[in-house]
Amino acid sequence: MVDALREVHRVLVPCGILIDARPDSRVHAYVERRRGRGFQRFGVVRTNSTELKNDRASDRAIARLVADGFFTRRRRGRFWHRVGFDTLAEVRRYLWEHLRFVRRAEWVVDAATRRHHADDQFVVRRPVRHEILEANQELGLRRLSKLRR
Amino acid sequence: MTAGTATFSVEVGKHLPGVSSALRPAPLDELRHWGGEALVRGKRVLDLGCGDGRFAIGVAPFATAVEGLDPDPDAIAAAKQAARKAGRRNLHFAVGAAQRLPYPDGAFDVVILSWTL
Repeated sequence: MVDALREVHRVLVPCGILIDARPDSRVHAYVERRRGRGFQRFGVVRTNSTELKNDRASDRAIARLVADGFFTRRRRGRFWHRVGFDTLAEVRRYLWEHLRFVRRAEWVVDAATRRHHADDQFVVRRPVRHEILEANQELGLRRLSKLRR
Repeated sequence: MTAGTATFSVEVGKHLPGVSSALRPAPLDELRHWGGEALVRGKRVLDLGCGDGRFAIGVAPFATAVEGLDPDPDAIAAAKQAARKAGRRNLHFAVGAAQRLPYPDGAFDVVILSWTL
């Protein structure tokens, strides 16, 4: 991953921009029922352990390139993406097939409420984060200054 | 998120498996959250791990040139087909690995890793 990011630095012009965007596993996703113009939370969806490890490895790779002076962090942010479903059964199937999430939601409403609203419309609301990094022109100066100290 | 994207997601959510790129945010929606089209306007853009070209095709109207690279030949074939359908001439796709990019130094102003790392 670090090798790939070094290659990215190579093909970027000085002060070129790297945009890293991906699902934010540091925050849970949610199953929500559509209710009028709003939403009612029905469950919490966690990211599976393999994907959590992958995300942390990606974070470490970015942090290393920043520490080595290849890139400077410019700004970051997060937004919420909603995927809609016509029934609760479709949400369950989506979670079961999804490679990133654990296969079942942790429900925050009781079984009777879930049964009562099983045919309502639902969304899975998931966090997506992004970070904008700038390619440094004076590559390696920071590392060199560390060695001189 | 815009109402348009929400509608789009509602339509496709029940038909496609969870791994499909069609369930991701619309490219322009994502771009807006990053800072808007000014990020790519008039720039040479590399979409690394472009998959079926969803994002590359979305930003092509703003950029000078867009290259998409992905290790999956099937995804690149789908991306090329989608690019032809979109009628964009500033789009190119290739099969390749991120560890050895087939481009010269300083070839791009912007590199996008959209759901790639």
